[in-house]
Amino acid sequence: MSTDSTPFLLLFRNSGPETHRHLSADERQRLMVAWNGWYDRLAAQGKAVEGQPLELETRVVSGPEGKRVVDGPFAEAKEAIGGFVKLLARDLDEATEIAQQHPGLQYGLVIEIRELTVNCHLGVTARPSASVVR
Amino acid sequence: MSSASSNGELIEHFFRHETGRLHGVLLRLLGIENMALVEDLAQEAMLRAFRSWSMGGIPANPSAWITQVAKNLARDALRHRTMSSGKEASLQVHWEMTTGANGPPANDGVGVNDDTLRLLFVCCHPSVSSDAQVVLALKVICGFSTSEIARAFLSTEAAIEKQLTRTRQRIQTERLPFEIPEGDNLEARVDGVLAALYLLFNEGYKASAGERLLREDLCREAIRLTSLVIQHPAGNRPSARALLALMLLTMARFPSRTDEQGALLRLDDQDRAKWDQSLIDQGLLQMAQAAQGDRITEYHLQAGIAALHCLAPNYASTDWAGIVRFYNGLSRLHASPIVELNRAVAIAQVDGPQAALECIANAPQQDKLERYYLTHATIGELHWRLGEHRQAAESFRRALQQAQLEPEQLYLQRMLDRAVAAV
Repeated sequence: MSTDSTPFLLLFRNSGPETHRHLSADERQRLMVAWNGWYDRLAAQGKAVEGQPLELETRVVSGPEGKRVVDGPFAEAKEAIGGFVKLLARDLDEATEIAQQHPGLQYGLVIEIRELTVNCHLGVTARPSASVVR
Repeated sequence: MSSASSNGELIEHFFRHETGRLHGVLLRLLGIENMALVEDLAQEAMLRAFRSWSMGGIPANPSAWITQVAKNLARDALRHRTMSSGKEASLQVHWEMTTGANGPPANDGVGVNDDTLRLLFVCCHPSVSSDAQVVLALKVICGFSTSEIARAFLSTEAAIEKQLTRTRQRIQTERLPFEIPEGDNLEARVDGVLAALYLLFNEGYKASAGERLLREDLCREAIRLTSLVIQHPAGNRPSARALLALMLLTMARFPSRTDEQGALLRLDDQDRAKWDQSLIDQGLLQMAQAAQGDRITEYHLQAGIAALHCLAPNYASTDWAGIVRFYNGLSRLHASPIVELNRAVAIAQVDGPQAALECIANAPQQDKLERYYLTHATIGELHWRLGEHRQAAESFRRALQQAQLEPEQLYLQRMLDRAVAAV
């Protein structure tokens, strides 16, 4: 692993049930195997650190004292974040290249790429998960 | 916190077969009259599995994972329905009966197979037409999508969906029992299931250029379900083993049926080295076990024919006399124009083309034979062997007019060209 690895978060959108409902069981299985293959290759290279799906149920809190509580994603369902992968890459360009190879894209998956700021805005260093900061 | 590494590997067609298994489990819990709901719930559970396992890796026990998700979804749906309509009391009762302490055990392997077998008996119930039986089985037991079924049957999605809806309605209105039949009824019902599986296998075995893999899947499903029938004491009977033998011995010859262009090859042009020896061995084993009891079914006779083909090292040394004997048996058991046509082909090998032409001419239901492309293809071939090239060309031309699938057309065009050139 290169020492100048920068942590990125890949945010997956449009990955909900509606996106894949029209696929047959076999097509889903093939896509899932390819999807896991994409991750496993990156994990083997030390580039993918972790990844997880998110439950669909969403609650949004806003307003003074958080009084305003809304169920469900606030925009369209396909805007909701369905999962994430934490990635180590040289720079934003490499992270983009990696995202571009994702097999889910052809079925409508949308991936947002964000660099993780290691030092948080409160001036506290983010708790290092061992593989991120060297 | 999990990392998205795929811990487990999924066997081929896992999602497809899990869908069918879930249908069985959920139907037992919710009742057969809720088939549409059950299909929706299973679909939802499969989509959740897909989403979660794509991003979180495959769990160690995927079947248990999906079953739990599906049961949770069922419980939620039940709660929702009971609250919103108050009309679903029967559903609630059914659920409590089947999940309660007195209900059948839910997760042992035998129970799950039983659920699938119950579902198979529903699909193949005599009040469902035979075409509809096969389509429904493909959908709810084998987990095929409507689009896949439409492609396999050269039909449209809309037509298949319409037929499925009608079948589900019939199952609901007639309240077909979700059970393995018992007593006097059992044998006839098993026969019905076997007939549907035979039809399913034949649908797959029909030649087709574009969707070969899909069609082979139909044959594999027929073999899988017939094996399932045999594994249960209720279905473990010689006729079922004979049918399985027939399927295995036929499937063994799949790899040699077409050439690189997808054109059909006749038996004498096929490369026998491509035959699947392991399937042949399994088929012969089933045949040995089918040779019990006092009832010879058409599956026994057809399996016998398939076995003689598989056992012959080449076309010339095939035991044609033995094959004619099996066809004579079929002819006595169940005289049909198609049996006579096939018998004629075997007779040609033993007694010559002229005897074969007479066999076809004496077959029952000539009008049916007349409309069947293989009749004319066979007659054309027999005339060709007699050196009657003009009549051969005429027959191949008629066959070509009736053939619908591309590999068949390719083959017949080749035969026609050869005959025309010889005139």
